Amino acid sequence: MDSVLYDVKDAKRFFQRGPTTIEAVGGVDLQITAGELVALEGPSGSGKTTLLQLLGALDRPSAGSVIFEGRDLGALADSELADLRLNAFGFVFQQFNLIPTLTALENVEAGLAPAGVDAGELRNRSLALLEEVGLAGRASHLPAHLSGGEQQRVAIARALVVGPRVILADEPTGNLDSQTGADVIELLAGLASSHGATVIVATHDAELAARAPKRLAMRDGRLVGTAIAGAA
Amino acid sequence: MFFLGYLRNELVRRKSRTILTVLGLAVGVSLVIAVSALSRGLDRAQAKALDPLSSIGTDLTVTLAPQQDQGGGGSGFGGGGPGGGDREVIQANQSVITDLSKLGKPGQHFVHDFFLPGTQLTFPQSSAQQIAKVPGVASVSSGLVLAAVHQEGTVPKIVAKIKAGGQQLRIDRQITPPTAAEFAKMQACLAKAGIQFGGGQRGGGGAQGGQGGLGGGQDGGGAGDRSAFNKCMPARLQRFRATVTTPEQTLQQVVDPPQTNIKSASYSIAGVDPATAGIGVVTPALVSSGRFLANTVGAREALLAASYANRQGLKVGSKLDLNGTTFTVVGLVRPPLGGQSADVYVPLSRLQTLASLKGAVNVVLVRADSGTSVGQVQEQIQKQFPRAQVASAKQVADSISGSLIDASNLSKRLGTALAALAAAAAFLLAVLLTLASVGKRVRELGTLKALGWTQWLVVRQVVGESLAQGLLGGLVGVVLGILVTVAIGAFGPTLTASSHTGGGDGFFGLGQVTARTVTDQVALTAPIAVGVLVAGFLLAVAGGLIAGAAGALRASRLRPADALRQVE
Repeated sequence: MDSVLYDVKDAKRFFQRGPTTIEAVGGVDLQITAGELVALEGPSGSGKTTLLQLLGALDRPSAGSVIFEGRDLGALADSELADLRLNAFGFVFQQFNLIPTLTALENVEAGLAPAGVDAGELRNRSLALLEEVGLAGRASHLPAHLSGGEQQRVAIARALVVGPRVILADEPTGNLDSQTGADVIELLAGLASSHGATVIVATHDAELAARAPKRLAMRDGRLVGTAIAGAA
Repeated sequence: MFFLGYLRNELVRRKSRTILTVLGLAVGVSLVIAVSALSRGLDRAQAKALDPLSSIGTDLTVTLAPQQDQGGGGSGFGGGGPGGGDREVIQANQSVITDLSKLGKPGQHFVHDFFLPGTQLTFPQSSAQQIAKVPGVASVSSGLVLAAVHQEGTVPKIVAKIKAGGQQLRIDRQITPPTAAEFAKMQACLAKAGIQFGGGQRGGGGAQGGQGGLGGGQDGGGAGDRSAFNKCMPARLQRFRATVTTPEQTLQQVVDPPQTNIKSASYSIAGVDPATAGIGVVTPALVSSGRFLANTVGAREALLAASYANRQGLKVGSKLDLNGTTFTVVGLVRPPLGGQSADVYVPLSRLQTLASLKGAVNVVLVRADSGTSVGQVQEQIQKQFPRAQVASAKQVADSISGSLIDASNLSKRLGTALAALAAAAAFLLAVLLTLASVGKRVRELGTLKALGWTQWLVVRQVVGESLAQGLLGGLVGVVLGILVTVAIGAFGPTLTASSHTGGGDGFFGLGQVTARTVTDQVALTAPIAVGVLVAGFLLAVAGGLIAGAAGALRASRLRPADALRQVE
């Protein structure tokens, strides 16, 4: 499992806000190996989310390149990016981002539906993942009727249902109390490893970041330090 | 299938938004349907009311109108004669000036109907035969359409005192003195009576009372002399004789109108020629209940306009007494508008007798050989009878007024605009609501993109939802539209169309009496065309599609990263 999953070279992302140009990500070099659990650490506004979006094919770099499995994400067409997001990446958001009109089960299904599997398989695979996150009994609940921790677990099930190679989690515990947050991170790490997925978690919570074997510190759009647990 | 389930959930679980959008579209669609149905209904009603002549088998009506500007007149279409139009109208309507004393003795109860031709002057029935000979005329029928005034009450006492005399005549005239011959004769006469006269100087100063011419000639003597003197005066001076013509005087005295309880009600009555069934002021085709007048000369039968019968509480079988002649109502008719319709129809000869207008008619109805020759026939008749008023169906239609016409004109002017406005409003509402809802869902749509949904899938989802709302809106709108039109049919206003004849104000106040107004009431209906329903439905669907496309366009323009950044 030493194959290089990501090779990021001098990736930059600017935003134009009126007359000023904001450099959200300013020249990041990074390599991530498959199967790693990586914490992207930094205060809010440090560019974590933008980097995560570049890694997750939600955005293209303004300069430099993001190579995923040997393909330059900046050079791919929208449809190819969509295909990657469907099959290779799973996202977990701070706000959970569940579809409010869909039940827990349907929200999980929404992550797999574009893959074109038949309705029976869609349901079975979604139910199986809900079971894995311990929410089989709440399959028919709407997000509004679930607790924050439950919602985030549904989101994790949704991220995993397609069998992604990478899980990208942006402040997954930001809206949860510390105990629930710890539980959610444990669940995420455990499931990712059992599903063979690489996990990249952006967080400003040092305690949470400390649990990751590899920690990347970000300040003002740049990586300012890399710490690998046990290698210090 | 997941996507349909998602669509359904979006519609069902965002009820208020869905209902708002669906209702917006539905109201627009139902408005379009209602407005077009309404204008259709108005068109129908108008076509019915404004085609007054076809139902009586007539292309042209020929009447005789009073001439107002020049002399001429007389009692024929071509004839000339003294008297202006006003005089003609007054003569024709003389009986309106009720001589109450002829109705009976004062205090007696009377019922009387007066029949007046109004401004539609009468002419000999033989004129119809002349018109029938005009080339291109297929058939003619003559009629007598009169304004009737029904009066009922007590004969009043009418006493008018007119004082005359008491004038003073003053005559002041110089009397010629006696001539020499008269003087000599006088002298001789007096001499015979023993009175010396002239030249004598005796007793000179005693003259008294004598005339200057005789002065001094009178003796101072006694009374016997005076009588002799009187006797001997020339006859011319004994008695003044002259014919005095006093200046002509017209005595004018206002006679107060008699106080009475006379009630008058006006209606219109028409004499129908039952022999010409297909053409006439009323035809069997217009009978709505009962039967047409029997084709026997002078039958005592009457037809009533349905609306008049309704007002008067009369029905088939009712009796109608007109100045002592009892008519039986044999049928109700729905007369056409356009000047020649009436409330009561009786056989022509009967009405001529009642109105003391033997052999007179005041309208000739003409049918042309073919529809295309109407114009020519109209010209021909006009040429041969310069004083005739020849009116075509179009001209008659133009003279009809009333709320129906107003509403119809309004709908013609505004109907299409209103429908377009409603459709545009519904469209706009749908687009705005969809845009607003998409605006609120940007993050959700961004999440879907993050989950690997392609742009097409996201757009399809949004358009699908809008389309579903459009379909729902269309269906609800169609149902609503039908309900509205049914409601209009059930509770809709009654529109009136009136045709007005006569009643100018130049006729010495006779205008009011001679005017004849016939009003037809048309209940407003709103018949729906299937095409309009389909169009309304498609409109809503198209609205949904356009709205969806607009919303989806907006959603798809956002890059997923930007969409995710949106805060709800």
